[in-house]
Amino acid sequence: MMPILSMIVLIPLIFAALALLTKTKEQARAIALAGTVIVLLLTVYMYFNFDSTIADNQFKELVPWVESLGINYHLGVDGISMPLILLNAIVLPLLVLFTWNDDRKSPNKFYAFILATEGAVIGVFTALDFFLFYIFWELTLIPLFFMVSIWGGPNKHKAAIKFFIYTHVASLVMLLGIFGLYFAAWDMTGTPTLDIPTLIAQFQFIESGIAKDMIFLALLFGFIVKIPSFPFHSWLPDAYTEAPTAGSVLFVMLKIGGYGLFKIMLPMLPFTASPNLMITIMASLGSVSILYGAFLALSQKDLKRMVAYSSVSHMGYVTLGAAGLVSLSVSGAMFQQFSHGLIMSIMFMSCGIIKNVTGTRIINDLGGLAQKMPKLAVIMVLTFMASLGLPGLSGFIAEVSVLAGSFVNLPSYVMIALVAIVITAAYHLWALQRAMFGVYNEKLGTVTDINTYQTLSMGVIAILILYFGLNPSPVLEMMLTNSEQIVSLMAVMGV
Amino acid sequence: MIPIAFYLALAAILFSIGLYGLMTQRSGIRILMCVELMLNAANLNLVAFSSYNHDLTGQVFALFSIALAACEAAIGFAILMALYRMKDTISLDHINVLRW
Amino acid sequence: MAVGDFAFLIPVLPALAFVLTFFLGKKLPSGGAIIPIVAIATSFVISLLITLNLLANPEEVVSQSYSWFAMLNIGILVDPLAAVMLTMVTLVSLLIHIYSVGYMSHDKAPSRYFAETALFTASMLGLVLSDNILQLFICWELVGVCSYLLIGFWFEKPSAATAAKKAFLTTRVGDVMFLAGIIILFSDLFKIFNGTIPDGVYILRFDEIFAHIPDIAAMNANIFGMEVSHITLITLLFFGGAVGKSGQFPLHVWLPDAMEGPTTVSALIHAATMVTAGVYLVARTFPMFIAAPDSLMVVAYVGAFTAIFAATMGIVMNDLKRVLAYSTISQLGYMMLGLGVGAAIGAEAVGISLFHLINHAFFKALLFLCAGSVIHAVGTHDMRQLGGVAKVMPITAATMVAASLALAGIGIPGTSIGTSGFFSKDAIIENAYLFGDTTGAWIPYALSIVAALLTSLYIFRLLFMTFYGKPRTDYGGHESPGSMTVPLSILAVFALFFGGLTSKTFNTFVSETFVNNFVNMDIHELASIGGYHLASHGGHHEPLIILWMPLIVALAGFVIAFLIYGLKIVNMDSLVSRNNPIYKLLYNRYYQNAIFTDFFSVKVIYEGFAFAGRAIDRGFDWTVNWFSDLTLEAGESLRQFQTGAVQNYATAVITGVSLLVILIKVVMEVI
Repeated sequence: MMPILSMIVLIPLIFAALALLTKTKEQARAIALAGTVIVLLLTVYMYFNFDSTIADNQFKELVPWVESLGINYHLGVDGISMPLILLNAIVLPLLVLFTWNDDRKSPNKFYAFILATEGAVIGVFTALDFFLFYIFWELTLIPLFFMVSIWGGPNKHKAAIKFFIYTHVASLVMLLGIFGLYFAAWDMTGTPTLDIPTLIAQFQFIESGIAKDMIFLALLFGFIVKIPSFPFHSWLPDAYTEAPTAGSVLFVMLKIGGYGLFKIMLPMLPFTASPNLMITIMASLGSVSILYGAFLALSQKDLKRMVAYSSVSHMGYVTLGAAGLVSLSVSGAMFQQFSHGLIMSIMFMSCGIIKNVTGTRIINDLGGLAQKMPKLAVIMVLTFMASLGLPGLSGFIAEVSVLAGSFVNLPSYVMIALVAIVITAAYHLWALQRAMFGVYNEKLGTVTDINTYQTLSMGVIAILILYFGLNPSPVLEMMLTNSEQIVSLMAVMGV
Repeated sequence: MIPIAFYLALAAILFSIGLYGLMTQRSGIRILMCVELMLNAANLNLVAFSSYNHDLTGQVFALFSIALAACEAAIGFAILMALYRMKDTISLDHINVLRW
Repeated sequence: MAVGDFAFLIPVLPALAFVLTFFLGKKLPSGGAIIPIVAIATSFVISLLITLNLLANPEEVVSQSYSWFAMLNIGILVDPLAAVMLTMVTLVSLLIHIYSVGYMSHDKAPSRYFAETALFTASMLGLVLSDNILQLFICWELVGVCSYLLIGFWFEKPSAATAAKKAFLTTRVGDVMFLAGIIILFSDLFKIFNGTIPDGVYILRFDEIFAHIPDIAAMNANIFGMEVSHITLITLLFFGGAVGKSGQFPLHVWLPDAMEGPTTVSALIHAATMVTAGVYLVARTFPMFIAAPDSLMVVAYVGAFTAIFAATMGIVMNDLKRVLAYSTISQLGYMMLGLGVGAAIGAEAVGISLFHLINHAFFKALLFLCAGSVIHAVGTHDMRQLGGVAKVMPITAATMVAASLALAGIGIPGTSIGTSGFFSKDAIIENAYLFGDTTGAWIPYALSIVAALLTSLYIFRLLFMTFYGKPRTDYGGHESPGSMTVPLSILAVFALFFGGLTSKTFNTFVSETFVNNFVNMDIHELASIGGYHLASHGGHHEPLIILWMPLIVALAGFVIAFLIYGLKIVNMDSLVSRNNPIYKLLYNRYYQNAIFTDFFSVKVIYEGFAFAGRAIDRGFDWTVNWFSDLTLEAGESLRQFQTGAVQNYATAVITGVSLLVILIKVVMEVI
């Protein structure tokens, strides 16, 4: 049995180092494509050997590391992480293809950062030891920071630093939570361990209720900022908007906040001293994010900024669904992460293309692009429809599962979210109408439609959006298995 | 035999002189000399305890310490020479580039 | 193999046609129109065979379900209700597609047109076939997005792009209510099953829902201090969805603007698909409505009000297509009224409402296609510039007259002589009378009678202004080609005779849906859940005047229109002046645009909420920046300590060490 998880984590990192050594764009992109495709193949192999009927971690690798501190090299995947790894593995080769013909300074670093992000993100998804988890968690920051600050837009430095410091502070708070959990468990059992499943299992035996709540809130804060959720979202619009297109897509792939919510927070939730308070916090943050993000998106003038705020709105479903605590809502929230990754990738790619060919992203300065760019128009209309939750596309499955599932326990919060659906439709259609339809704005000069590589990469993602909208089972089934397990814990505790 | 307290007192006096010089002097050379004084106070203690306990380790340690002090002095004077060539002074009041 | 096994092909074939036409249409003559035409024709044949089979063997309902995900399924259900809808949709859609070959021949993107109409038809068929409420919602939304694409077909025209957006957003408001209804329904059923749903049970299937109506009705919600039964809440929310889709007041505002698309699209939207979806939804979930009499009351009132409200605007419009658009809204109001009277007559309401829906589909498709034929020939749809078109376009004019007679509802009561619209509209108005008689609510009946007068008035006004008299401008024109006139003639036959031929069988056939077959519920039992009793049948005999009333008002409308627009004995200029407040109110469509679009959407939502949100967001950003500024300032002040003078550092070190020594000494002694 080969150590497949170590391979999908290390191969991108090794290829990142290789890419850094190259001299030309051609070499760098070839290495990037090779690395991402290998990861994709391995992930697909792993996917087909994955048993989606059991909620346990699979493909486990366990090597003792620093025994005196209880640190192990411990990897594994379950139904929560598998779809997210799959998402990364699918989108990143396509992202490399998307940037195939672009000209930019130091392409070797550019592709190295793409690969490094992939390795780090997959590392977070596979780590079963808090030590590893935290290393990979922080490792994701570095390539993204450089991505923004080297190839970003006019305000790149401010955006990069804001993103870095904001999320880093949150990570430190999370680290405090990890330490709290670690020492409390050490005190209790007498043996140190940083093993995630073990620590989660020991959480319930901590005696002090205040300690439990503090640990929970500290971890929650770290994840919520990363998701991000209202009111900790203000790093996102700047970072997403100023990042280059590839950087924005990488940001979208960064689903580690929501992942932590499902993998670490929810199993601990029923054992906190005041679970109902925690549920209220999560549900209100989620539903307010949905509505608030939608209103903010409606008021944006810049297409990419609008997409960034719509991301805040969509990620609200993740928090709300997690708080819903019904297997349908929890798995819907997981599916929302998956689907949102696909949809937002195309959204940001479209924004990048529009900026490239017309030189502007201000919605009112565009107009009639559909006449000159029919291929882009078709893909964009499809994606916008997916983003506003049109049935038959993947966004709908997620939204309806979250809303229907959460309504069982949290009816009033769902009602808030329902209001946002109309607003969501409004800003999507408004942007489409102004940017793509109507009379062509001659001031934009001559524009050309998307090239073959771009069509290919966006087209494949668009087809996946359609496929998972019609048949979500390939990923939803394993999510359901895991969410049922989580929810059964709640039932035991009577939450 | 001279009681150990005498050695210690001497070392303390030496150390205090060095400390005082370190805090009050402005010239780089004088400060370096004061540091040497403090170091030698420590060496004196080492040797004193060594003979008091009939253990040679302390004396060996003192030898190492003297060698290190020589190196330190060499480097220190070299830096001061370089500074003097650059700034025409070795008064530390004028060498405060590591300021805010 | 039974013909029912092929039922799944009915929506699948047009969907395949969409894919094929989308990718291959450009290479084929006339945009690949042949693909959807063949596909829809096949669907029509299958639907027709299934319907005939059901007529002969009412128990052979097609019902197939497959697991989708979690406790949800996809499946098809063809009972009489669905079967007649399927047949109508495929037939009308087929004729419109054939007609479009000629109509769209000069357009630059016919393949996109045919692809989108095929998808539109497929979604509507999928909606009708659904055996669960979620799948119905999915197709419902697809219908919405297709209408968005088709209304905005000429997207380079800003007005078309705006109209498309408006249509989508307005119906979306209704959709959200519908979705809310589904969500509440889901959570109720989830609780009824206590969270554990057995394998093979799909909780959103109609039979599952209907089987649990008593349990749902037993649940109560407290909304702003009012105790509302969940069944009432859910049905009202469903009706909210229907209001949006079927253009009922107050969400009808999108429908007249939807005229920006090609006229054939208007025909498709207004006759066969989209707008009938709302009526179908209420019909499909009728057992739930029966158990919620308050909801049915709302349905009846909203329907009747919409019927008259839209008709008043219909009489002042000068745009050929707009008159027809308001006519559609008004007729949909009738259909809703027909369903609403179910509070008095039970499941039969579905029969009479569906009957009107089918008849309306034929004559309204015909009206639009005739209008399209006129527009295609003369290039304008302003009636003030037309007149005397009958001379150049005799076939179009003749079929238009047939459609108008059907819309006005001309026929002789008590016999089987009459146009299609006569039978169905009369049935609705008579049952509205019965409804008033049983429940004491006479307003719907009164409104429906006045609306009948206005209906006849506006449609004959349209006829006289367009086809009669002398041309007012020099428009030229010619009769349309055969591919357009043949569908017109076929539809004219249906508009004239379908109602008369089927009036006896139709009602029983469709109403049976909820009595014998699939649902198998006792309607009276359901009504008693709602706390009332249905009127027993046969005991009621309407006075003769009630039977003749609709015909009398229809003829009165014709006479008024003839006097004003035919003989011109009244000078219209004095009435149609900008100073006449009533005319102004009607012509400006009750200022709905100003209220809904300009004020509510733009001012309140966009400028108000969205910009308030922006300000709040700046507040959050400011807070974050404040923290960063604070940190910077703290560093700024603290760095003053770094003097760079070695002595200061040395002093600090020594002081620190000394303090540490003292501290340790003190602490040690204390311990």
